[in-house]
Amino acid sequence: MGATSLGYNPPPWPSTKSTDGRGRGSSRGVNPMNRQLRNALRGLATEDLGRRRRAMEPFVRSTFGLFAKCLYRYLGNEVECEDILEDVYADIWESPDRISPATNEKELVRTVYLYYMRKHLRQVYRRLNRTMALPEGDLLEPVAPQQGILDVISQSEMQEVVHQALGRLKARERRAVEMWSQGLSHRAIANELKTTVGAAKMLLYRTLIKLRETLSEYACENR
Amino acid sequence: MRKSTYEREPQELLADYADALRDGRVPRFLRALTRREAKAVVDGEELGQAMETVRILNQASFADKAVMPDMGLFIARVDAKIAWRLKHGKVHTGAHRRGEVPSADRAGDGSQRL
Repeated sequence: MGATSLGYNPPPWPSTKSTDGRGRGSSRGVNPMNRQLRNALRGLATEDLGRRRRAMEPFVRSTFGLFAKCLYRYLGNEVECEDILEDVYADIWESPDRISPATNEKELVRTVYLYYMRKHLRQVYRRLNRTMALPEGDLLEPVAPQQGILDVISQSEMQEVVHQALGRLKARERRAVEMWSQGLSHRAIANELKTTVGAAKMLLYRTLIKLRETLSEYACENR
Repeated sequence: MRKSTYEREPQELLADYADALRDGRVPRFLRALTRREAKAVVDGEELGQAMETVRILNQASFADKAVMPDMGLFIARVDAKIAWRLKHGKVHTGAHRRGEVPSADRAGDGSQRL
């Protein structure tokens, strides 16, 4: 049974069947800030609390999508993203010093993640998981990991990079990752690949490690 | 099988983490970890790399499909939080620390909306 017959959406990147993964137009580079965001950041730089509060509206409007997508990577849940972002924006309003030097979107997202989002991510999990076996000190890494070079890739750029990286995988490996990205369970992936669930999990595990190496190479090339 | 006697292999941990992340239930995944599994998650280099890739795939595949809230309502919620902080004097600005902003002014700010 194919993925499309199950009614799942195709992954957001184009099909990799007829490409060597290198031929697409590139949107690489740094995303500059638009004027609205620049003005909002300027408004936040003031010491006047009232003016800073008024500057929050355009700031939220211009950055919500960026920040929500960044958080979604770690949570996979829109409601939790919103709850955390509420606190993050209040923190930014309270002490915007960290974000003032940001000159482009990547820098801004990275700074906000490191200085404003991470502590809230940790707090959420600390609150939700009182019975967790994970010691307090070890909580940070799986819940709110340190950002690597891959983490500063913008959303549009990321889809292209993933597309290119998938193009370098073997057909079976690529199919497994694409099916996972379409929302299929491991059992469905195993059925599709005519193998066992255990073998499908192992294939994905090995493929993701391989994919990570390819993505790292890309990130190093474009640093 | 009792949870304490069952230790998942790295590929099983990754598969469960990937599904948890995709379905937005990471806390449940973390809660179900045994101590040994938690150690494998924290210390395992390969597992860590695979988990990082899963997070990237999660963002690339699903972040665009996430349902975003009504922006007006969300901004109102942020503003209410700011008002609460102003009212309860939890704001620490440079000016406030230097005593340049009297508390009456801050209370006044708290009553204004965006």
